[in-house]
Amino acid sequence: MGALEILKDRAKQLLTAGEVKMVIGYGRGSTADRRRAIFISDEAQADKLVLDKSCEDNLAGYLVREGLLQDGKKVAIFLSPAGIRSVNVLAAEDQLNPDQVVILGFEIKGDQVSALDGHHVNGFIELVGQIKKQGLSKDREELIAKLEKMTPPERFEFWRAQFSKCLKCYACRQGCPMCYCRRCIVDRNQPQWINTSPHSMGNFEWNIVRAFHLAGRCVGCGNCERACPVGIPLMLLNQQMAAEVLSAFDHFAGMNSTQEPVLASFKREDPDTFIL
Amino acid sequence: MSEEFEPKIIAFVCTYCTYAGADLAGTSRLKYAPNVRMIRLPCTGRISPMFILKALQKGADGILVSGCHPGDCHFTHGNFHARRRWTVFRSLLNFVGIPQERVWFSWISAAEGNKFAETINKMTEEIRKLGPFKQYQQLIEEMETPAKV
Repeated sequence: MGALEILKDRAKQLLTAGEVKMVIGYGRGSTADRRRAIFISDEAQADKLVLDKSCEDNLAGYLVREGLLQDGKKVAIFLSPAGIRSVNVLAAEDQLNPDQVVILGFEIKGDQVSALDGHHVNGFIELVGQIKKQGLSKDREELIAKLEKMTPPERFEFWRAQFSKCLKCYACRQGCPMCYCRRCIVDRNQPQWINTSPHSMGNFEWNIVRAFHLAGRCVGCGNCERACPVGIPLMLLNQQMAAEVLSAFDHFAGMNSTQEPVLASFKREDPDTFIL
Repeated sequence: MSEEFEPKIIAFVCTYCTYAGADLAGTSRLKYAPNVRMIRLPCTGRISPMFILKALQKGADGILVSGCHPGDCHFTHGNFHARRRWTVFRSLLNFVGIPQERVWFSWISAAEGNKFAETINKMTEEIRKLGPFKQYQQLIEEMETPAKV
């Protein structure tokens, strides 16, 4: 049985038994190789579910949509390992109760999709531990190495060129499962911290702040970069932040549902070599 | 002959240690560079990275963030939180090409008037050598120029 059949059966059983009120999964998108989230509350609809290597989006963000989990009922959701880590981060930040989330886990490796065992986030702790051991994503190592070799003015110029494409559409924010603030800092206008016009200054500030707010929280699902209509390499910034918190504080986002947020905790022996 | 470049430095300091240290420098009649504009805050833990970006947006050439030594915080652990935040933010600034030489961090206690004066003098000299932060100031110019119709 393929991963889709296994998980579809599980989803049907959950809905028939009334254990969950909804299944969040992938359905067909607007083109043959696109998938979009579908929300199923009737088992007859479960045949619309799709699962293949195009199911890259992290659906965890839908769990914190206002009102969804407030009735205390459970929701089942298709999640990749990155998605499972997002649920851990959201639970650790008190945004949801992990007992209300039934995980239909899957993993994409090349063209192969396999189903994961387990249904509660606590059942995946070992898996996340292994991901941490594998180390951070090796994507675009060459580009990162190239950037690190540049002088600061050259790097500034690289990012200025990248950010100058930004339209301030905030698709990166909307796609991100971690960007759940009801009122985002860019929407605040008293004081107005970030210029909302899409000139280079505002774009610089927005992208710096977005990356900073995800430091130690980003699980590297890549939703932001896929959502970006102008192709800014946002994951470079996110990877840099993840590498920094890992090396300085041994923090890896989404290890478990009670992990302390890295910037809301401290150790007395934290490094401070840069402080005079 | 062109005039020597005078850097604009913004210092975000906590009221219990560094601000008191600056006061001590003043009452001890220590002379230090007048290039620094101090902004007093309750604690280094109150200093948001937005403050640094705002200072740059308004044309600062250098920024100093200074507070109590670890263990001395009036609120017991505000500076520990700040320290984590700055570790991360500093690495981000470096990655986007804002030179680390322009953003300084220090622990200066209320008894260290000397250290305060020395830090300000040293910082002013180093940033004078770096020159104005032209790259960022070009963004300001672009922002203030009306769009061509």
